[in-house]
Amino acid sequence: MPSVDNQPLAGCRVIERSRSVAAAYAGKLLAAMGARVVLLEPEEGSALRRAPPWLEGSQESALFAYLSVGKRSSVCDLRTPQGQADFVLELGEADIFIDDTPLDERQACGLEPESLARRFPELVHVSVLPFGASGPKARWNAEEVNLLHAGGEGFLLPNGLSNELFPDRPPLKIYGHFSEYQGGSSAAMCALAAWWAVPAEGGQYVDVSVQDAVLAVGAFALQRLGDGSLEHRTTRSFRYGGVFRTLDGYLELLTLEDRQWLGLVELLGRPAWACEPALADPLERSRRGDAINQHIRDWMARHPTEHIVARAQQLGVPAAKYRTPEEVVRGEQERARGLFGPATLASGREVEVLVAPFQFRCTPLLRGGAVPALNEMSRETTA
Amino acid sequence: MKPLRSPLAGIRVADFTIHAAGPFCTHLLSQMGAECIKIESRTRPDAFRKPHAVYGRMQAATFDQVSANKLSVRLNLKLPEAVALAKRLVAASDVTAESFRPGVMKRLGLDFEALARVKPDLVMLSLSSSGQSGPDSHFAGYAPLFGAWGGLGWMSGYSDGPPVEMRHVMDHSAGMHAALATLAALHQRRRTGLAQHVDLAAREVASAMIGDALVQASAGEQPQRPGNADAAMAPHGIYASNRPDRWLTLAVRDQGDWLALQGALGRATTDPRFASAAARRAHREAVDELVGAWLRECDADDTARRLQAAGVCAHVSWNMQDIADDPHLRARGALAEVSAPDIPARLAVGAPARFSVTSDVGIRRLTPTLGQDEDYVYGELLGLSRAQRSDLESREVIF
Repeated sequence: MPSVDNQPLAGCRVIERSRSVAAAYAGKLLAAMGARVVLLEPEEGSALRRAPPWLEGSQESALFAYLSVGKRSSVCDLRTPQGQADFVLELGEADIFIDDTPLDERQACGLEPESLARRFPELVHVSVLPFGASGPKARWNAEEVNLLHAGGEGFLLPNGLSNELFPDRPPLKIYGHFSEYQGGSSAAMCALAAWWAVPAEGGQYVDVSVQDAVLAVGAFALQRLGDGSLEHRTTRSFRYGGVFRTLDGYLELLTLEDRQWLGLVELLGRPAWACEPALADPLERSRRGDAINQHIRDWMARHPTEHIVARAQQLGVPAAKYRTPEEVVRGEQERARGLFGPATLASGREVEVLVAPFQFRCTPLLRGGAVPALNEMSRETTA
Repeated sequence: MKPLRSPLAGIRVADFTIHAAGPFCTHLLSQMGAECIKIESRTRPDAFRKPHAVYGRMQAATFDQVSANKLSVRLNLKLPEAVALAKRLVAASDVTAESFRPGVMKRLGLDFEALARVKPDLVMLSLSSSGQSGPDSHFAGYAPLFGAWGGLGWMSGYSDGPPVEMRHVMDHSAGMHAALATLAALHQRRRTGLAQHVDLAAREVASAMIGDALVQASAGEQPQRPGNADAAMAPHGIYASNRPDRWLTLAVRDQGDWLALQGALGRATTDPRFASAAARRAHREAVDELVGAWLRECDADDTARRLQAAGVCAHVSWNMQDIADDPHLRARGALAEVSAPDIPARLAVGAPARFSVTSDVGIRRLTPTLGQDEDYVYGELLGLSRAQRSDLESREVIF
């Protein structure tokens, strides 16, 4: 049975100061695994409380709900002596401190890594900034759209069908905060790595950059550059496969192995063009990719998605429906795995929130919880 | 030689992962100092050792990022003796990682329950497309399918266009989340001494990237694909410059940014439709058109620098050559130049972060040749004699 005490990070104490999605996502991931995460907010509350998308009716931030469920909230203004005193008390009990305060503001807030390291020698102090805390661009500002392109992936999107349909449009960002999520995931990972080293090495300062994290997950394009290919969104499409329009929606199809190709030929009803002996050679298929794709498109457009996907899975052909958020929330697979948990917003409204994109099979994660009202810890103390 | 100071020094990983997501996870652990032993066989070598026609690579790769730092041993897991040897390797390791389709490890006799019998405090990572449980758990998939199943593909795209397929970033994002969860399980083991089985479904990582839209959907709403627009910011997006295919990304957060943008560009507008952030949001297309016209006459690189100096969020849409040439990324060690006798100097992704104390983080060795570390792994770690190893090789157990 899930319990507070058997969570993977039970006993881990985290202080989070966040105005970026990256830092907040790092805290969310640690909180989801059982760490006690205290969000230190300014008087007016974290800017993320006002960030879109907003829920219809209550106008509460769906993003903040996602990022903060399970955390605690305490107002702490570091520009005041009281705020500094509270902060020192909090850090004295913390294992990990996640902070995304811009460099220029850190001194005034007493957030310089050297001074914190002297006062809290066992603390893992994780800085999360768009371009990191060191290097010539450490003081550059950025939002998601800038970071996805500073890390190289933005330039490569969209590829495939979308690029074919709209070749003259600007590149396209991935939905939401993909880059910031990479930065947050990296920050949480590096925090736990540094925390692992505390018994042997003591605490330390970890400098995480969202741009670095985007580049890291885009490593393959850098590898291709080293091989002599500068990737471009117009040319990095799969030779065949990709996004297909079906009779009633869209699906993704990708066959990388011979047996999958043979399954695809079967799925298509063994048409004469696909049975040509030359196409037994994967290199030849790659060379004739455009023609193959045209045949597949013609076929897909005549068949419903669910039918294609069900048959493809039977034949061992990797194919997936492009599912809407509603379909994901209602999905049988997601329900069976308990991907979502109930969450209560500050207004009292009930929604569901994705718990975490991983499971611990021996000690399942606790699901759901409350989105913290601003400064609820202090109200609790004074009540 | 000075001992390395890495955060994960002393951690050993038995690495059965294949494809991209799993190997990236163990690569990250290795970058932070874990000793990672990659298990392959001559009959089933890793994909990078073969041509990859779908990606247009007609021969084996000389350098493979996700294999860097790893030790390589051969083991033909179709044979019971090899499975027994794999168990000894697992028992000698802290973490076991695999990314086969659910069920494969069980067929091999290497599932969590079997391994926990030889290693009671086993930390095992299983990374798959849809997870170890649920009706879809047997589904095979790759990065674009993770994006499709998870909803990220649907939400990404031009508002009037089709969904967009995710590529390697999706695999590697799954790998990074897996590394995080694996580290959490190690902490749990340190605290409790108990085994843990981490089950990561890559499609759920794709869903985590649209966590906000899923909250909306749970409230009965139907979130729409926003393309490059942002609900809170206008202007916001990717704009053409005075050079073909040289784009400038721009995010104007507030009124201060809006005034700074005009100042930096030497432009001004008194159009009441753009007088406040709310007004600009209400006239998003018109403000895009105006700013687009200004920027079309500008050099993107110079403008990005000027806007940053004025405190406005701007950056050129960089291709990989721009990234390779960036002194900032090099100064941080995020980019590392690597070379070996058979590998001409090239760039690779370096340290995931800068650690002030355990600072030996990054690439220490390049892509291993198949079986190159068997003296250490089979000889020193498992204590097999030369004669025993020769025997196992002759019977194609070590193969």
